[in-house]
Amino acid sequence: MHLDFDAGKYAVYMWPAFGISVLAFAWMIGDSLARARHWKRELERLQAEVKAGAGEPKA
Amino acid sequence: MDARHPLDFLTNPERFMAFSRWAAPMFGAIAAVLGLAGLFLTFAAPEDYQQHDTVRMMFIHVPAAVMSMLIYLFLGIASLLALIFRHALADAAAQACAPLGAVFTALALVTGSLWGKPMWGTWWQWDARMTSVLVLFLFYLGYLALRSALEDEQKAARAAAILALVGLINLPVVKFSVEWWNTLHQGSSTLFAAPENRLPAVYLWPWALMTLAYLSAFGSLWLVRIRALVWRRKARALALRLAER
Repeated sequence: MHLDFDAGKYAVYMWPAFGISVLAFAWMIGDSLARARHWKRELERLQAEVKAGAGEPKA
Repeated sequence: MDARHPLDFLTNPERFMAFSRWAAPMFGAIAAVLGLAGLFLTFAAPEDYQQHDTVRMMFIHVPAAVMSMLIYLFLGIASLLALIFRHALADAAAQACAPLGAVFTALALVTGSLWGKPMWGTWWQWDARMTSVLVLFLFYLGYLALRSALEDEQKAARAAAILALVGLINLPVVKFSVEWWNTLHQGSSTLFAAPENRLPAVYLWPWALMTLAYLSAFGSLWLVRIRALVWRRKARALALRLAER
């Protein structure tokens, strides 16, 4: 099967459309994973703090 | 489960978290496979006799447009459930899908503009389809702005949910605008179109694969973002507990 990447005079419209789509997906993936990672770590940090505090005598 | 308070769900989030832990990467993998297959068929498809090479833009523009409407429908349903049942997971689902929906709508507008210039001779026309999609984009932005503008998260969630429900009115306008008004856009030519208007298989397959790839990618990212919101709410509840000590 022949793959045609030559868009001729339409390349100036076609490739930016594909490029912007790739960038949009890259942002959605990056932002979603970064948010998940951030809040998972924050929760783990707080859970460790609560656990550590549970052993301390109350003031 | 008593779901009178949004934080109640977070006392027992294990079921959702256990499901999304394997479902999110699974949908992501499906999206990658379908996307690669769809891109292969995109560039293997022959030039159209009228649209020439720009026909390939259909395989990224139409799926983005389909997702922009579908995600808004999910946003409306989740908002309705959050308003009626005050279910924290429904609220998180609404909050998580809004930024993704805004991006897909922006993609539909930008790729449509890039496709419109060589085909219609204009980047933009205030016709019913394009204008109603722009309104859809503004509803997404309004939802996101409301959620971040109010300090009280519950008030912000309620106000944004009401706005999301109001915006549902726009969905049939987007969908049927090409039938109700005379627009530059052609009518539907995909799965639900009349056989004489339907795309030939050589264009229908890459469109279908790319649409399913976009849908799977959204499913994966939606779950990841809901997980992040669940962790965020749990972290905030814990931080509050620590501060009260």
